[in-house]
Amino acid sequence: MAAIVLESISKYFGTAAAVDNANLEVETGEFVTLLGPSGCGKTTTLRMVAGLEQNSTGRISIGGEVVSDAAQGFFIPPERRQLGMVFQSYAIWPHMTVFDNVAYPLRIRRKSSQEIKDRVTNALRLVEMERFADRPAPALSGGQQQRVAIARALVFEPRVLLLDEPLSNLDARLRTQTGDEFRQLQKRLGITSLYVTHDQGEAMALSDRVVVMSLGKILQVGSPEDIYRRPHSREVAAFFGSPNFLEAEVKDCRREENGSYRLDLDGGWKGLCHASGELAPGSKALVMVRPENMYLKSGDRVYGGGMSWNGIVKESIFRGANRSVSIDTAAGLLHIELNALSNPRPGENIEIFAAENSAWAVPA
Amino acid sequence: MTDNTAGALPGRNIAALGSASAVQTWPSRYLSGKNVLVATLIVILGFLAVYPLAMLFYGSLHSTPPGMAGEFNLNGYRSIMNWTNFVVLLNTIGISLAKTIPSLALAVLLAWIIARTDTPWRDKLEVLITLPFFIPPILTAMAWGMLGNPQVGLLNQVWKWMTGATVSPINVYSYGGIIWHMMQYSTPFLFLFIVDIFRAMDPSLEESSRMCGASRWRTFRNITLILMLPALTNSFILSLIRGIESFESPLFFGTPAKIEVITTEIYNSINHRATPDYQYATALSFAIMVLMFVLVVWQWWLLKGRTFTTVTGKGYSPNIMKLGPWKWVTFGFCILFFIVTVVLPVGQLIIGSFFKFFGFYSWDMLTTEHYVAVANNAEVWRAFFNTMLLGLLGATAVMTLGSIVAYVSIRTKWRGRRLIDALAWLPWMMPGMVLGIGFLWAFAMLPGPIPIYGTIWALMLAYVALGTPISVRVMSSAYAQLAYDLEECSRVHGATFFQTMWRILIALAWPSFAVGWVLAFFGIMRELSASILLYSVGSEVLSVVLLRLWSNGLAEQVSVIGLMMMLLVILFRWVQLKLIKSRISTL
Ligand SMILES: Nc1ncnc2c1ncn2[C@@H]1O[C@H](COP(=O)(O)OP(=O)(O)O)[C@@H](O)[C@H]1O
Ligand SMILES: [Mg+2]
Repeated sequence: MAAIVLESISKYFGTAAAVDNANLEVETGEFVTLLGPSGCGKTTTLRMVAGLEQNSTGRISIGGEVVSDAAQGFFIPPERRQLGMVFQSYAIWPHMTVFDNVAYPLRIRRKSSQEIKDRVTNALRLVEMERFADRPAPALSGGQQQRVAIARALVFEPRVLLLDEPLSNLDARLRTQTGDEFRQLQKRLGITSLYVTHDQGEAMALSDRVVVMSLGKILQVGSPEDIYRRPHSREVAAFFGSPNFLEAEVKDCRREENGSYRLDLDGGWKGLCHASGELAPGSKALVMVRPENMYLKSGDRVYGGGMSWNGIVKESIFRGANRSVSIDTAAGLLHIELNALSNPRPGENIEIFAAENSAWAVPA
Repeated sequence: MTDNTAGALPGRNIAALGSASAVQTWPSRYLSGKNVLVATLIVILGFLAVYPLAMLFYGSLHSTPPGMAGEFNLNGYRSIMNWTNFVVLLNTIGISLAKTIPSLALAVLLAWIIARTDTPWRDKLEVLITLPFFIPPILTAMAWGMLGNPQVGLLNQVWKWMTGATVSPINVYSYGGIIWHMMQYSTPFLFLFIVDIFRAMDPSLEESSRMCGASRWRTFRNITLILMLPALTNSFILSLIRGIESFESPLFFGTPAKIEVITTEIYNSINHRATPDYQYATALSFAIMVLMFVLVVWQWWLLKGRTFTTVTGKGYSPNIMKLGPWKWVTFGFCILFFIVTVVLPVGQLIIGSFFKFFGFYSWDMLTTEHYVAVANNAEVWRAFFNTMLLGLLGATAVMTLGSIVAYVSIRTKWRGRRLIDALAWLPWMMPGMVLGIGFLWAFAMLPGPIPIYGTIWALMLAYVALGTPISVRVMSSAYAQLAYDLEECSRVHGATFFQTMWRILIALAWPSFAVGWVLAFFGIMRELSASILLYSVGSEVLSVVLLRLWSNGLAEQVSVIGLMMMLLVILFRWVQLKLIKSRISTL
């Protein structure tokens, strides 16, 4: 059973749509991330699930139960939705100790003091904060506040955990570590999580599925690998890194067994690649090739399928782990990431190639 | 919650939950708690602000005093249009300008010393410098009346004794006296605004100017002052408006010298004429409202589009200037300000209370008989209890109303919140004197069985109206410091709206509430101009009794009562500072 279902929900502020007709199902135990540039409506979506914002259209269900239905004017306030939430600012109440902060949801639910003590201690142990139980909340570092916020959100075993950019206030090193720890905790407890971030790396590393949003619309939903390697549109493709886009004409299009399509292309060069939808022969396609998936042709290695280009090296920048090279080819200026040890010099004529499975076409 | 099986239709869930009271249908939406609350607030604030204002206009056209049959005409407006009143208008604006400009300069200087230099004991000096603001002006007015009396004033006596001169150098009954007395209030008032602006300024804005080669002084002129300009303009106009509303200073020092301003002219036309001329007074009151309105529009126009982006509220540590030996000069300057504004008048009250006759200070004149006289004066006791009762209840009512209004207007998106905000702010434009007259008419026009006039509730309503703009302001800034997340987080984790109010918002905002409460209490204790119009026998308050004793020439007893009030001021201010320090700063 889906833990969260959004059925064509929208949110209007005045006449502007912050979220525009979004549909999404999150399975129980799943970790789903809303990803998109800032201002695209991620927080608004999360807040509608929480009940902090009332959706202008559509229906939201949590755990099989409708919590909001705009058409019927039906709305359950946030406190009756049994959710846990971690705010971007952590929202740690400054007038309470760590213990009191975490105990709050239980006190509101009038649990016995023994139960409160046990469950709070447990929750604090989960996030390794039990030593700080008696600290006043303002005397915590950012990372510690974040842990307390997670403990507070988990303490009453909510149906769903909502997180709004919980790592964005931490410094870079702590961010990766805390993210990984949280993901382990989430898997261990099997708690359904809806997570908001604008950081692609974070979304890739943590999620079961990623929801890519832009300007209030959901562009694509899929596993991190799907989204990264098999985007449906140029917009989604361009959101991760800075891929090369090559224009080409479709010569032939065949359906594969796994549901994707195999294309023969001609753009002054020839090659094979895949696409998620059917592209009619004769139509234009944009081929996405990520810089890290292109190689320097060398020696007598055999290259199956794929495509290759000849060109003059324009620029070569050493970046430590790798080397960024731009090459002027008949298909335009291509950027590739090479092993730092290979060193093509500007002006040199080289040949590069991309394997068939790393080139992906989207409609032009 | 209902237990749903996988196949349950969403529609059925709605019905099940609907019976659990979550459905908002049309009628319940309009009768919901928030609409009732908004409507109640509008009615209360409308009664406190709009009704007296409307009655003021009504009264200005009405030929007889409140509550008597009469006809409608423009005689009131005709009678205020004369040369004398033109002079009165010039006096009012001129005096207010003449006190605001030096006060502003002095306040900037003092604020700079406290916020930006290494003057010793700055935190203690700050407490001393702001103290005069909290003393009821009637006390210092009386004290200065004794200090600067041209015949027997203590300052004049000391001067003559030291120099052997025979002419008194000081006469407080003059333009200079009025301005001098007003400055003692407007300087700390402006200081309170400006010192925070100095503190909140991002130091890197000034540092980058220095890096560009500008000198310290140049940086102060071109960066610091310019950045503060919107805030300074705002405080300037605020202070100007308060000067125009001021009653005590012109009453004590102007009227004896035949210098009248609008407030004293209104007062005299009711209290010092053979037959009180209500239509004249009311028309004049309405005219001053128009003047206020013009000023407020001017202020709004000057400030529109200007934002205080430099004031971020972040805890910067501002640039502190090392003054070297000069720090003792600035220290001395602050102490001098304290001596002149607090020590001198309070000292005069102490001296005045122990000598048989004010002005005759020799050992054989020492006495405690004034203390005995005050203790045996039933009227003083009654006024004392009235003041305390009004202060306790009034401050509580003002702050409760202010807390709710501020919440609705800044924390919610409810319809009608802007109207509520505007209504609560309206009395801010009304001088106490004008509001008093408005209420006189308002009470007289109430249907018979509501006998408010003549009871202390009449005063209470006026105090609540006068205090509301400030209480809304205090609570708004308290709420503004609390992130919305703190409330929303509580809601998501299961707390209802009221649980959240109680456990989060009130728990976090009560220190500000307490600080505002003390401020409101001070406001009520010092209030004279509305009280003098609305009191009647049995409902006197201390300020009214003080004024009456003073006009009867009992300056010595006035000193005794003044000292009692001073003790209260110091006690409350101490509590307030403790609260600010221990609670508000940690949040
Ligand atoms: N309370 C509000 N009133 C008006 N506009 C809002 C409000 N909240 C969000 N918006 C607008 O809705 C859009 C989406 O905002 P948000 O969901 O916060 O974006 P994100 O979290 O993806 O950065 C933005 O353009 C924002 O300006
Ligand atoms: Mg956001």
